[in-house]
Amino acid sequence: MADSKKVRKEDLAGLLTEWSRDYAVLAPSRADGVARMAAWDGEDISFLDWYRNTINPVKSLFLPPVEEMFSISRNERGHRIELPPKDDTGCLVFGVRPCDARSLILLDVVFEDAYEDPYYLDRRRRSIVVGLCCTNPCDSCFCTSVDSGPAATAGMDIMFTDIGDNLLVEGISRKGKELVAGNATLAKATRTDENRARKIRLAAEKKITRKIDTGDSKERLLAVFEDESFWQQVSAKCVSCGVCTLLCPTCYCFDINDAMTGGEGSRCRSLDSCAFSSYTKMPMENPRADKWRRVRNKLCHKYEFYPMLFDNIACTGCGRCIRLCPVNWDITQVLDSLPAKHESKI
Amino acid sequence: MSYSAAKNSQMQKKLRQEAKALLEQGKVDCIIGYEPGSLKHATTPLITKDKAATERLVINPFIVNNLSNFLPYTKGRIGIVAKGCDSRSIVSLIQDNKVKREDLFILGVPCSGLIDVSKVEALVGKYRDEIDDISRQGDIITVKVGAAKKEFSLSQVMFDNCLACELPTPAEYDVLLGEPTSPIGAAAESAGKLDELKAMTAAQRWAFWQNEFRRCTRCYACRNVCPACYCKRCFVDETEPQWLAPMPQEPDNLMFQIIRNLHVSGRCTDCGECERTCPVNIPLRALTRDMYDIVDELFEFKSGMDTKTQPLLTAYEVDEAEDLVK
Amino acid sequence: MTQDSEWEPRLLGLLCKWCSYAGADLAGTGRKKYPANIRIIKVPCSGRIDPLLIVKALRLGFDGVLVSGCHPGDCHYQTGNYRARRRLAITRKFLEGMGVDPRRLRATWVSASESGKFVEVVSDLVKDLKEIGPNELFGGKKQPDAEKAKTGS
Ligand code: SF4
Ligand code: SF4
Ligand code: SF4
Ligand code: SF4
Repeated sequence: MADSKKVRKEDLAGLLTEWSRDYAVLAPSRADGVARMAAWDGEDISFLDWYRNTINPVKSLFLPPVEEMFSISRNERGHRIELPPKDDTGCLVFGVRPCDARSLILLDVVFEDAYEDPYYLDRRRRSIVVGLCCTNPCDSCFCTSVDSGPAATAGMDIMFTDIGDNLLVEGISRKGKELVAGNATLAKATRTDENRARKIRLAAEKKITRKIDTGDSKERLLAVFEDESFWQQVSAKCVSCGVCTLLCPTCYCFDINDAMTGGEGSRCRSLDSCAFSSYTKMPMENPRADKWRRVRNKLCHKYEFYPMLFDNIACTGCGRCIRLCPVNWDITQVLDSLPAKHESKI
Repeated sequence: MSYSAAKNSQMQKKLRQEAKALLEQGKVDCIIGYEPGSLKHATTPLITKDKAATERLVINPFIVNNLSNFLPYTKGRIGIVAKGCDSRSIVSLIQDNKVKREDLFILGVPCSGLIDVSKVEALVGKYRDEIDDISRQGDIITVKVGAAKKEFSLSQVMFDNCLACELPTPAEYDVLLGEPTSPIGAAAESAGKLDELKAMTAAQRWAFWQNEFRRCTRCYACRNVCPACYCKRCFVDETEPQWLAPMPQEPDNLMFQIIRNLHVSGRCTDCGECERTCPVNIPLRALTRDMYDIVDELFEFKSGMDTKTQPLLTAYEVDEAEDLVK
Repeated sequence: MTQDSEWEPRLLGLLCKWCSYAGADLAGTGRKKYPANIRIIKVPCSGRIDPLLIVKALRLGFDGVLVSGCHPGDCHYQTGNYRARRRLAITRKFLEGMGVDPRRLRATWVSASESGKFVEVVSDLVKDLKEIGPNELFGGKKQPDAEKAKTGS
């Protein structure tokens, strides 16, 4: 925690206001009972008391549920294609939880891998991710099992920790460090502050009781891949909705559609879900017509295929898929129930 | 009969015995019921062929899912646990030829209503997992958070659709697991949103719904948990022609839900599942219940009450709705 | 709602092939004048009309929808129009509950010989729609022409 700073809670609004001069500041807010990241209103910091995580993961700021890729208009000479107006405003997202911050690293790899995705990457380049350490994790959180944790900083530029009257502030990335270093509202944190933060983080970590062994999940999934009866059983209660994928911080499948009226309109991309029976129906049919194949894909993508390609597990343990699932399908239970490698029939 | 935990566990015991016997005697191929969920104050569907698993079956005030939703996709003979509303959905599915009555063994649960944990969360200002205990005795719900204890009435914490339920005890069953219960009969208390909407002007109502559906994610949870939405190919997945844009945007989101409601008219049993599962809290019941009432008002039709009645939209009277036609 | 006098409502007619479409046709061949505001889609029977078609028409910006079938008892398929009546009654009432003016959806029976009635109903609906004003329910003025509407895109 070297060089850490702090800010008094009553000064947080001031700090955010300062940042608002250079950035569009987003912060957790709540409307209609739905927690979300929204343009900060200039005063409200009550989220420090109620906020645990948003319903939509932070990915939706970078890979929005729907976005225009270009517009199509018509004139005498034919059709005209225009990219959306370029936006150069920097964006500072305050209060990103460690699990969501980590998801951005996992997504970055995908969107700069085979080709560079200008839409996603541009938003990422313009953003500052300010994390907020979890002090009150949910019973569905299992971040500590997937290389993260309530105090993990991966994917953040700056990390805040609530230590009572103050918030401890740490620059994480180069960008973040610069932003913190030059700021006059921030005071130098004392030893006591740092110790308090340490204790709070340990306590938070202890609160996470949902744990799974992911050490050889890749191998175990590989071994059970063809075991239809296993997957049939595991998928029986799933209703193939889009909740666990659309709202997963690491799921990135998208679909592209034209929204046209009278020869004009736009080409849009929107999130898609491998749980849908209509997934990839556009070229032909869904190769995973059976539900068990789709459930298998969801799990294997996160715990087998992605790790094969990019070394990391593509799950950050945010627990949304457990909390929000209509039937309480629980990914941790399923991972736990994977037969050990040698038990499998194949 | 008033609710008691003891009576409830009697019922649960009977269920486990019955379910096990059904599997043992080969009367059914699988059992669909509830088992404890992996979250506090929650249950999860249990779909099993395993005799031993019947020991996990539960009945409690948190058995929320409408299990009839699984019937059209489950092969063989099925033993299914059904509350009143679920039994109506089953009946509706039978009427629609989606399942055969003789393939079902209905384990009827006389229901006393279910606790809406999100209402409890709002009342005590705590999240689900921070609440230590929620229990019911008679018509009092006791909620414990740490050392603090609070009591609530049924109309404060039961699901809106349970407050308005007309058939808590299934009419169609093979075995009834307990003594019949009577409706809570608090429809008025459950109609808050509907009344609010009725007090608005038409323009305000439309604006209200436009705004609500702005946040729809098009996850289709509402459709996929709905027993009345069993189409092999839903109109939203049609591409030739494409009826609406398959992306989460207005006004397509709203249009989707309008059509969905029109499609399930006369089959919706006000089970409340669509509203419960919507991840972004859209008050869907204000639409589904409105439809439920419209169908009743216009055609004195209540879905799923008995297998003999013809489904609403396949039947007609020569002299009805005549003022419609000009 | 104040309207500039130029504004002409546009409406979609969903007419059953056996009676109403023939009735409309007769109005045409008989050179009866009826408002040019209507675009007509022929359906095999009023009983075939999924409410989806009606809502889609509103979504496309049509100001009103006219559904017309054979008179009770005259349905080519015996009971199609009775079933349609149930569905339409429900549709109209439900849309009204959501905030849609129920007058935007009109149902009627027109036989193959009732060209006069057809003209009357269309004129009357146009009058109603002029009173209600343009349909901006699903996002305003941009109305696709009938060509586009036909392809359903
Ligand atoms: S949220 Fe649950 S029911 Fe929906 S697709 Fe995911 S696991 Fe299945
Ligand atoms: S469940 Fe809610 S968010 Fe999902 S499609 Fe239905 S209305 Fe939209
Ligand atoms: S919305 Fe309509 S088409 Fe889609 S599943 Fe439901 S009833 Fe079928
Ligand atoms: S529309 Fe909603 S309330 Fe009605 S049966 Fe379907 S899930 Fe239940």
